[in-house]
Amino acid sequence: MLPKKIEEIKAKAISEIKKTASDRALFDVKVKYLGRKGKLTKILKGLKNLSEKERKSVGPLANQTRQEIEKAIANRKKEISGKIDWGKEKIDITLPGKKQELGHLSPITLVNREAEQIFSSMGFGIADGPEMETDFYNFDSLNIPKDHPARDVMDTFRVKTKNNDLLLRTHVSAIQVRYMEKHKPPFRVIMPGRVFRNEATDSSHGHTFYQLDGMMVGKDVSAANYYALIDEFLKKFFERDIKTRMRPSFFPFTEPSFEIDFECLLCSGKGCSVCKQSGWVEIIPGGMINQNVLVAAGYPRNKYQGCAWDIGISRLAMMKYKIDHIHLFHEGDLRFIKQF
Amino acid sequence: MKYSYTWLKELSGTKLSPEKLADLLTMHSFEFEEMKKEGNETQMVFDILANRGHDALSHIGMAREICAVEGRKFANGDSISIREIESPSRRLKIEIKDSPRSSSGGAGKKLCWRYIGAVIENIKVAPSPKWMQERLLVSGVKPINNIVDITNYVMLETGQPLHAFDASKTTGNIIVRRAKKGEKLKLLDEKEYELGESDLVIADSQKALALAGVMGGIESSVTRKTKKIILESANFNSTNIRKTRTAHNVITESSYRFERDIDPNLAEIGAARAIELLQKYGGNDVKLAAYTDVYPKKLKSWQIKLSADYVNSLLGEKVPVSRIKNILENLGLGVKISKNILNCEIPTRRLDLKTQEDLIEEIGRIYGYENISAKAPCVELQTPMRNEKRILEDKLRDILIGSGFSEVMNYSFYSQSDIEKCGLGIEGHFEVANPMNPNQQYMRRSMIPNLLKNIELNLKHFDKINIFEIGRKYRDEKKSSPTELSILTGVLADTKNENPFFNLKGVIEAISERLGCTSSYEIHKPKYTAWHAGRVAEIFIKGEKVGKIGEINPLVCKRYGIQSRVALFGISIAKLLDVSAKEKTYSPIGKFPSVKRDISMFVGEKTKYADIESKIYHAGGKLVLGVELFDIFEKEGEKSMALRIEIGSREKTLTSAEIDGVMKKIISKLEKDLRVKVRK
Repeated sequence: MLPKKIEEIKAKAISEIKKTASDRALFDVKVKYLGRKGKLTKILKGLKNLSEKERKSVGPLANQTRQEIEKAIANRKKEISGKIDWGKEKIDITLPGKKQELGHLSPITLVNREAEQIFSSMGFGIADGPEMETDFYNFDSLNIPKDHPARDVMDTFRVKTKNNDLLLRTHVSAIQVRYMEKHKPPFRVIMPGRVFRNEATDSSHGHTFYQLDGMMVGKDVSAANYYALIDEFLKKFFERDIKTRMRPSFFPFTEPSFEIDFECLLCSGKGCSVCKQSGWVEIIPGGMINQNVLVAAGYPRNKYQGCAWDIGISRLAMMKYKIDHIHLFHEGDLRFIKQF
Repeated sequence: MKYSYTWLKELSGTKLSPEKLADLLTMHSFEFEEMKKEGNETQMVFDILANRGHDALSHIGMAREICAVEGRKFANGDSISIREIESPSRRLKIEIKDSPRSSSGGAGKKLCWRYIGAVIENIKVAPSPKWMQERLLVSGVKPINNIVDITNYVMLETGQPLHAFDASKTTGNIIVRRAKKGEKLKLLDEKEYELGESDLVIADSQKALALAGVMGGIESSVTRKTKKIILESANFNSTNIRKTRTAHNVITESSYRFERDIDPNLAEIGAARAIELLQKYGGNDVKLAAYTDVYPKKLKSWQIKLSADYVNSLLGEKVPVSRIKNILENLGLGVKISKNILNCEIPTRRLDLKTQEDLIEEIGRIYGYENISAKAPCVELQTPMRNEKRILEDKLRDILIGSGFSEVMNYSFYSQSDIEKCGLGIEGHFEVANPMNPNQQYMRRSMIPNLLKNIELNLKHFDKINIFEIGRKYRDEKKSSPTELSILTGVLADTKNENPFFNLKGVIEAISERLGCTSSYEIHKPKYTAWHAGRVAEIFIKGEKVGKIGEINPLVCKRYGIQSRVALFGISIAKLLDVSAKEKTYSPIGKFPSVKRDISMFVGEKTKYADIESKIYHAGGKLVLGVELFDIFEKEGEKSMALRIEIGSREKTLTSAEIDGVMKKIISKLEKDLRVKVRK
């Protein structure tokens, strides 16, 4: 009877051991069979009450069984330790991440970079010029003589000096002749920078803003080339196949002069308040560089042809990010900057 | 300008609806702005380009434009043109005395190119016909009476401004002269103007009657009692009109046209048309009593030789020669072709057409820019020149945002009060001659004031502010050209950090490391009170002084309403560009293990960390691979520092005896030279 019972205990114990998945469960099984009140322990403790004959036959079996169970537990323990209790490993992945502080760039920088990248990929270099300019580079060299009505349009901040000959540049086109004086065509170059106008400010006009002008000069640069360049820029910048159109305009430094419009993105050309019901948004003024400008730079008249244009970076940034007030660019309010 | 659609339609013969006409002109001539219905009339507003004020600020000019765009000649031209004026035998005495001022040489240009005066008698002042009133109204001009309305009507029709004087209020002759200094004249707006020598007036023998080309005087104006008028159709110098109207701040329909330059030959067209209308609507017995035309130097048409090849090259589109000819003729030019050259005769009303390019613009826009297809430029494959400064600036931006700093862009201006608050001193500042407000009175010579304003604003919303700016500052060094310096600045304010200096210093160290350099620092005694007297250093990179780092004087912070400590650095971009390494070279990773040994010591109050570090390197020589400060505290008046020294060799594994030897040397050097107490 007893040996049969021992065999049963052994079978049960081994099967339970195999089922355990953790140290804790294994320990429980160990206690159940080998603990002070364990099933096998009870039998072992009862050996002394048996007859000598029974003891001799049951005793070794019980002890052997105990060793076997212990061995099974030890083996199982090894197996378990190579496993992970996934239940315990669980974390609440919805808790917030540890704050990693990264800074933010000004939206002007972001838009400038994008524009620079597009033109760089088309082989344009980048030129700089001073923000405090002379009348020659800001006006005269660009075919805007003194008393020209165009000087009215660009109300100018002047700086107090002995000769009253310094101003804050009203457009980055002031870099054009500076660049031409030092380089020989053919060339392609963009001129980004900060400009100043002493005019009434409102939500979309500031006394300080940013432009990115471009010019390309060579033997046979044409209006068709100009249109291709600007059309490509706008498509890349707005990342879609927008429609553009070129129409006549007037600027003293270009002849012929153009205005390039693109089809209003908001109403797809149907007409809305943003495009003043016209279906088109005026975006890039430019034209074929006036020969007088090329002559001011020291090139012989009619030796070269070129095109030039002006991109309003502040305006593009406002359009791109739907910023409703131009002053935000210069307030240094981190609640604004941290959104970019 | 505001145009009447029916008037344009009548003159041009267009069959297009107002909407279609608006689209057509926008693409070929002038941008359409808006449209308004007024009774039977439709008002159309177009933005006339600055170079077309000569001819297009008139219904005839616009009608000619419409015809050209529609591909026709302007057929109606003759019906408006002038019947010979039956020259009366009497003449009006007109003197033009517009010679340059003796004092400051007024450019030597004649201020009045032409003056036509006509005396008209038996005028009966009454309301003008209804159709005329309607056309004036839709063109934005208020009807007054038949005489004034006719002068305005002719201006809107032909573009020639006219004026009518009540002859009985004059001495009966006309003198065109410069105003006397301080001469007073009450104009039609009932305001009295004090004139100067650069203003031109129309006068009689006794007094000024009108401010030439701008506005008539009230005293000689036409009233209900007027019986006899002097009609003026003249041509005035554009620059001078502009000067006068800017000086007196009056813009009129007349000054608007004159300052855009108009054809002197238009004066007689305007005069004849006005006389014709006056005879019709000015009363039953209207009589032209006298007529004088002073026009000493007649403007004649001119020639431009246009190369058809140049047209095609500049437009990038092959336009047939016959088409070019056709376009130019429709605009009223005379064209003769010889081979590939077009000899063009320019009518005097097109003062804007002076060069081949001007003609190419006419051809391009009438041909239609929408018909010019985009062609990618055919250019030599050239890599653009690198703008190293811009590349560096962009690199710095990326390093700084990676370090948690956000970019601000401040105005280039600040106020007198900023200069005072920061103790900058006025010297070296450029002053703006015409600031919009006191906040823009000076060009920034320092980046500090505007950055402090940023800190003040943001402390309302954040405990910690780390910002940077790359911008220019301006310094008047009394040189031929102003000094503009591109500067990188970084600012840190943290309400929980009493020593933001070191956080900021860490940023500069990171920047220099990224640029392949190491930075060092020297104590600086600041010149300006904006800086903290005891917490400023000069920054050296590769031995070159590149900028400053320090705390802002707490008193200055207070003046800006800032309670927390603020640290700030400024580095010259140009100097950074000079020192930053163009290339980096790899140095092999050590093959032998190194060990780290800690030492801690009590140091004197004045002992500087930089000295401790350099002594360690000096004593340990090549075997010291690195030194790192990991703890610093003060206890009972004594300062304690704990350092970790990395010791190793490139040649072999050091024995512990060798390492102990190095440490011994270091300790004894520190104790001897700096009198520190190394804790054992």
